[in-house]
Amino acid sequence: MRNTYLNTRVTLFKSRLWPQAQVSALIDADDDELPGLLEQRGLKLLASGYVDDDPRSLEARIVAILLDETRILLRPLTGAARQLLLYWIERFEVSNVKSLIRAKMAGETVSATAARLLDLGDFARLDAEALMRAEDVTELLRRLEHTAYAEIVRNARQAFEDSHDPFILDATLDRAYYDGLIRRARALEPELRAGIEPLLAGLIDRINLVWLLRYRFNYGLPPAQVYYLLLAPGYQLTPERLRILVGKEDVAAVLAALPDALVRVLAGVDAIPEVAARLEQANLNHARTLLDRAGHPLARALAYLALRESGLRDVRAVLRGRRLALPVDDIRLAVGA
Amino acid sequence: MFRAQPMFRVELLCLASEAQEMALLLARHGGFGPAALGETGNGGRPGEHYRELFLEASARLDKIMEYCGQDDLAPIRDDAIAPSEPELAGINQRLQAIWQACSGCHELELRMAEEKQRLATLRETYQRLSALDVDPARLLRRDGLLDTRLGQIPALNLKRLGDALSVAGYLLTVFDRTGDQAFVVVAGPRSGDGRAANRLGGLLAQAGWRDLAVPPELRTDPTVAGQVIDAENQRLETLAESQCDLRQQHWQQHAAWLRQARLSLTLARPLAESALLGLRGKGQLAVFSGWVPKRAVGALRSALEVRFHGRDLLLAREPGPDDAGKVPSLLTYPVWLRPFTGLVRSYGVPRYGEFDPALLFAFSYVLLFGAMFGDVGHGAVLLMAALLLRGRFAWLGWIGSAAGLASICFGLLYGSVFGYEDWIAPLWQSPLHDPARMLALAVASGVGFISVTLLINTYNRLSARHWADALLDGGGLMGLVLYLAALSGLRGALAGEGFGTTNGLVVSATLVAIAVRLVLKTEGSMGERLVVALVESMETAINLFANTLSFLRVAAFSLNHVALALAVFTIAAGLTTTGHGIAIVLGNLVILVLEGGIVAIQALRLMYYEGFSRFFAGDGVEFRPLSLAVNNNLGVKT
Repeated sequence: MRNTYLNTRVTLFKSRLWPQAQVSALIDADDDELPGLLEQRGLKLLASGYVDDDPRSLEARIVAILLDETRILLRPLTGAARQLLLYWIERFEVSNVKSLIRAKMAGETVSATAARLLDLGDFARLDAEALMRAEDVTELLRRLEHTAYAEIVRNARQAFEDSHDPFILDATLDRAYYDGLIRRARALEPELRAGIEPLLAGLIDRINLVWLLRYRFNYGLPPAQVYYLLLAPGYQLTPERLRILVGKEDVAAVLAALPDALVRVLAGVDAIPEVAARLEQANLNHARTLLDRAGHPLARALAYLALRESGLRDVRAVLRGRRLALPVDDIRLAVGA
Repeated sequence: MFRAQPMFRVELLCLASEAQEMALLLARHGGFGPAALGETGNGGRPGEHYRELFLEASARLDKIMEYCGQDDLAPIRDDAIAPSEPELAGINQRLQAIWQACSGCHELELRMAEEKQRLATLRETYQRLSALDVDPARLLRRDGLLDTRLGQIPALNLKRLGDALSVAGYLLTVFDRTGDQAFVVVAGPRSGDGRAANRLGGLLAQAGWRDLAVPPELRTDPTVAGQVIDAENQRLETLAESQCDLRQQHWQQHAAWLRQARLSLTLARPLAESALLGLRGKGQLAVFSGWVPKRAVGALRSALEVRFHGRDLLLAREPGPDDAGKVPSLLTYPVWLRPFTGLVRSYGVPRYGEFDPALLFAFSYVLLFGAMFGDVGHGAVLLMAALLLRGRFAWLGWIGSAAGLASICFGLLYGSVFGYEDWIAPLWQSPLHDPARMLALAVASGVGFISVTLLINTYNRLSARHWADALLDGGGLMGLVLYLAALSGLRGALAGEGFGTTNGLVVSATLVAIAVRLVLKTEGSMGERLVVALVESMETAINLFANTLSFLRVAAFSLNHVALALAVFTIAAGLTTTGHGIAIVLGNLVILVLEGGIVAIQALRLMYYEGFSRFFAGDGVEFRPLSLAVNNNLGVKT
């Protein structure tokens, strides 16, 4: 009964996704047609505020839409499946944690910090007001160690105290979050786990490859440290494969040493941003396939949320591009339309 | 008692320069609750910066007081005035300087505590290390062929670190574990040109690595490790003592000023609280907006006249339709009902104008408890135990006394004293005498209770002018008609008279009406709306009956009480005189504690899920007037 309800819900939500043609129409529409188009596709929240100058406001509205839909999808879920979906949404709060740390490093005022944070409503687990009033990053991290995010920040404080490098802090937090995701996915019953595994595999492999390339070649970290920062175990990118990849000397050598399936996806690509974009597109295609077939409702719900988030970010890119009066071709390029 | 006190929406204009005094007067009056009403106005929010300063200063002061272990507040004089914005800024600045000094010491103390804990585990580890057939000092020599390090890391990171180190040609070996920490040796080829560090980068730091200093004499004299740790411990003790001295010095140095600062912040609180919502600017004027209980408006006018001699303007009016959902609820209760309100509040606060369920809750809860736990003896014990409760549990004593009395009354009706049914004649009947009758009565009480909750919900929605919801919703009048018609039909069917055409028509019509209402109310595509309407209207019908059957537990627990007593008697009958007595006393004790606890929870569950959830959203706003006491109206989570 619960599965049927969730499946029905996801199927009904599918109509809210933005096909590429609709995104194109949004790019080509006149200014006065825009609110109407957004409202037609169920984005009343964005329609009323797209002229807003504050880009954070647009981001906040997108997050509000995602949270509202997640709340509905959560209703029939219980146990480990519910925990997994809730944890998926915790990404936004981890992003708030990173914003708090950056703001504290930059010595921003409380009101400026508050403006950076996403309003997560009932999903918020942190007392952001108290955290904002920490005097420095060390005090902030100590306070975070007494919150629900202790698991995520446990290693971050010492790493930060030793290096004082914001990148190391970000990397440690990101890795801890995704480790938690993998752990929660493993706690699912075998049938459920099998349902979401393809989706998770794409996500983890993409994160691992993009992080590997960035850490190795943008930040120049040594192979051992890069390997430590990657998520284990990967899927197509097994630990053995990752050991080989981190030792390569340039991007081309890494790409050439990938498994065949990934080589096919990344054919003709040689820059890191393109790798990230191509893999994300491949994952979205995979999510679309998963959503269209009769799989497990939790997998379909996650696939929907991934597609919905991506679609909303495309809409945001279009709105901001138009706001900044960017050339139409540049906007198209940004959203891949 | 059944509704919140009537409130007036007020706007209070005064000179901007007198805003602090005005806020202080309102706090001393104790009947003004700030709230955002209408537009911000051209002058913006004059107290915003003041509030920011207040929050920052308060957070710092709280941290300093906690660090110094102090928590006293000097009494506030009637003529004390609130600090101005520049004064508040000065206080904040000085608090920042004091906290910076304190936090350095605080951080050092935390590190020392961590270090002491580490040393405690190290002592044991060094002893094991000294027993190894290895000379650690030689192993760690900088001119050796191996780049070797000894350290500790969180055991959780072992596997990952070991794998990562192997990428750089290093080996990791665990030689000891204590708690969540692992003591390890890491060794790899030394490259001579300083590239070893480059091969690892920040890897060890990221894994939570902490170097383990090995005294050179460790190999030759194992006792030296103990000495090293003792010396380190001694150093930390001395450092800790000096930190304590420093803490004391900080307090002594700033105590008088900190006490004064605390007083100033207490006086600044009302304006800071108002600035969050109820204060805006209009030229040279400050406008306080909020809510005042109708009965307190006169007293407020008089207080304003005495203090401001007409340099203010108070505009007060009754709440209008635009204020729906915004008016705070001020609920007052007679003393005897107050203990029950805590249990109602734990569910939520009634909206302004809504039916306040506190009295219904108190009455029904006690009645249900008595019906499920009817026994003169057990009730008397419960009553006596409740009367003995003091201090922070005193409120529970009153609820316990009422429950005990109800238990005695039902015990008289059932004729039960400590489970014995032959000591007194029942005024009505023992539950076990006619279980079917008990079950029927329980269901009937459920029908009555649910009908009342549906009526209350209809009343609440009518009060809020939600006409369609009141009449057509499954939780409103239409739900009640559906429920009663279906019950009437079922009763006929069970009596062999059939469901009845009229009942069938009424049930069908009400279900259709509820579904149509849901289709119109729900947002989304037509498909989505139809699914929601279908599922939710069916759910409404199913829930009404499921909730009714829930009341069977009232009869079930009254039967259970008798059954448990019988079980105790059966066990006691097989024992000798002393054993018999002990079994009876212990058995009754178990019944009292175990069954009494379960019944108390079940009665609460019936109230919350079968009652409150039907008519009581609990999302009202509690009236929180400005006050000089800390009441957290600042939008800060605690």
